[in-house]
Amino acid sequence: MNHKINRVVIVGGGTAGWLSAGVIAAEHCIGSKNGCREGSFQLTLVESPDIATIGVGEGTWPSMRNTLQKMGISETEFFRECSASFKQGTLFRGWRTGEDDIYTHPFTAPQSYTEVNLAPHWQTAREQINFAQAVSPQSALFADKLAPKKISTPEYAFNVNYGYHLDAAKFAEFLRKHCVEKLGVTHVKANVIGINSAENGDIASIATDSHGNVEGELFIDCSGSRALLLGEHFGIPVCSKSDILFNNNALAAQIPYTNENDPIESCTLSTAQSAGWIWEIGLPTRRGIGHVYSSDHNTEERASEELLNYIASTVSQQAAAAATLRKVQFSPGHRAKFWHKNCVAIGMSAGFIEPLEASALVLVELSAAMIAEQLPANRGVMDLVAKRFNDKFLYRWDRIIEFLKLHYVLSQRRDTEYWRDNCEASSIPERLTDLLTLWRHQSPWHRDNNNVDDMFPSASFQYVLYGMDFETMPSQTQRRSEQAEGLRAGHLFQENMARTKQLQASLPSNRDLINKIYTFGFQKI
Amino acid sequence: MSNYNILNNDVHKNLRVNTGRSAQLGDNIMYSMTFPMEFRDIQSCYPIFFCKDPESGQLYPAALFGFEQDHNLFLSDSGWDASYIPMMIRRHPFLIGFQADPDGPEGATKPVVSIDSDSPRLIEVDGVDSQEGEALFNQDGTPSDFLQASIGTLESIHRGLEHNKGFIAALLEHELLEPFSLEITLNDGSNNQLVGFYTIAEEKLQSLDGETLAKFNAQGYLQSIYMAIASFARLRPMIDKKNAQLG
Repeated sequence: MNHKINRVVIVGGGTAGWLSAGVIAAEHCIGSKNGCREGSFQLTLVESPDIATIGVGEGTWPSMRNTLQKMGISETEFFRECSASFKQGTLFRGWRTGEDDIYTHPFTAPQSYTEVNLAPHWQTAREQINFAQAVSPQSALFADKLAPKKISTPEYAFNVNYGYHLDAAKFAEFLRKHCVEKLGVTHVKANVIGINSAENGDIASIATDSHGNVEGELFIDCSGSRALLLGEHFGIPVCSKSDILFNNNALAAQIPYTNENDPIESCTLSTAQSAGWIWEIGLPTRRGIGHVYSSDHNTEERASEELLNYIASTVSQQAAAAATLRKVQFSPGHRAKFWHKNCVAIGMSAGFIEPLEASALVLVELSAAMIAEQLPANRGVMDLVAKRFNDKFLYRWDRIIEFLKLHYVLSQRRDTEYWRDNCEASSIPERLTDLLTLWRHQSPWHRDNNNVDDMFPSASFQYVLYGMDFETMPSQTQRRSEQAEGLRAGHLFQENMARTKQLQASLPSNRDLINKIYTFGFQKI
Repeated sequence: MSNYNILNNDVHKNLRVNTGRSAQLGDNIMYSMTFPMEFRDIQSCYPIFFCKDPESGQLYPAALFGFEQDHNLFLSDSGWDASYIPMMIRRHPFLIGFQADPDGPEGATKPVVSIDSDSPRLIEVDGVDSQEGEALFNQDGTPSDFLQASIGTLESIHRGLEHNKGFIAALLEHELLEPFSLEITLNDGSNNQLVGFYTIAEEKLQSLDGETLAKFNAQGYLQSIYMAIASFARLRPMIDKKNAQLG
């Protein structure tokens, strides 16, 4: 039971597989094919040559910068090879009332967030300025489709915080090359045809059609929603979350720009519909536009009509007429556990919910990082690490689900059954109901992030709550620090306005900066 | 703003160039690009740093003249007070332009001398009698000695730009540049902060292996690196000048 982990095998080569391989290989010395040297293990990724990766546009969190940097990836190369662009947050349209309402969730926390909670101070001025604009320059920047930095800013550094939009298929290919050429990952192209068990019930090896048995001590299931190892082999069930988050279908399209040099959005656009919402993600080469909706509340026909109307009105009639829609079905939920025996699932094999707030890739990053960091020393301690992993990620999934649900429960829309059902008390997790009650009397702040595994910082809750018109009642008691803090808040609002103007005047457009990256590249310093 | 045109001995025959040094003539600048080939002269007068072109993010070596924008400590009513004036300053009002080369392969360009028609240095004269400034052309339309010297400077700059590319690439490859910020407290208590500049990472330099050092030596980079380091000594006299100006 105490044999060492000498071989880690990843099954599946999409973004989840290669990103996991990269994160683990960036942390550890990976041994060569012909036996491991002291202190290293072999990392093999088995990928089917027959399953094509689907080129969806995807959004990342700012965490991806650190993930790429740690892998030793040049940000310039990443931009050039993955059709990447800058993402500074999300702009929501029609979520509050279904009319022309807009609010934003920028990646940058409010000014001096560690010192002062600006939310209560903003409450008194809420009629004059929206919350996000009052406390951070970022939403004004992405309203102008500006970049978060300049060409003279070193790679991965920024003027304002950012993540990426990218082409997932190109990204997987880019990571594959880096993992194999730079990080020592072994790539096996073969189809999995069976799973061989050890006496203790562990997976001993996977049988492949062209490479025989691939043996290992730890198997990472990145086989997608099929969950070949954790689901099909071990039978770990999916916990459905469809009672909380209703969306279970998506229609996706790739829409070219009308002119090659049309501006590129530097945020994800999310526009509420009758029974779901439409995403728009700007890549340098094209826009990814899709409609995610609930099939219990909408027909495919009506959903595609809404999507085509959106494309016609935001891009052009011609673009709508030429659009090919690709349908994706999913059951919102996650596995009852993610690590079972010597098998751990990462990516869609672990679970999938709608793409609101782009939590898919960050969960891959976090899962792989935890495996890399806590790689079990031997089989004997693996069950302990597995338990920790399961506890941590069940907690994280719950937090994500609550945060996504928050977007719906705050809506004043009652125009369709979808929006009415979303506000039914029975569909709201109890913990979220409690928080909402609490937030009526105190605004979220650091005290609300008492767990390091919280997925969304309290600042994100502030942006969504106050963007959606939520009201926190003024404090009942007068605090001794009130006057001093009020003055400080006033200064910070002023500072934010000045900084916004200065950044608006000095930052290039998203498109211009990306073109400059192609021509000159970023410096490392 | 600049307005460059290809130099022509007919169109530009009546132009003369004011070679004086003053704020009006555009010399009141904080720093200017320089090249390893002139580092020996530069380091005897000015500190050498590295900075980024805001349009491209590319790094280049620069000679520092002052501690704030549009302020050149070497400039006084009597001109530019230093034994050497950098090539990029002396080049004005000329610049190397490129035009299609009909004799070369397709897409080839050749360097041509251009002149900034909006330069404050230009003096338009009616006849050949004017003695103000320097003439561009002799009466027979051939380049004047002044113009020939300027063309020589432009040719050096042209080579210098190419050399800089290799020099900077080598420095970056070996991580020999690092961001640098300098806080200067003047006698009146005021602070001047220099940010956005880069300098040689001396610790990295000291840990270079023999092979790299030999390569750098053969390419001439080693001497340039040490001249840039030595040029730091020029900061002190600049601070003294600044203090003297405060009175």
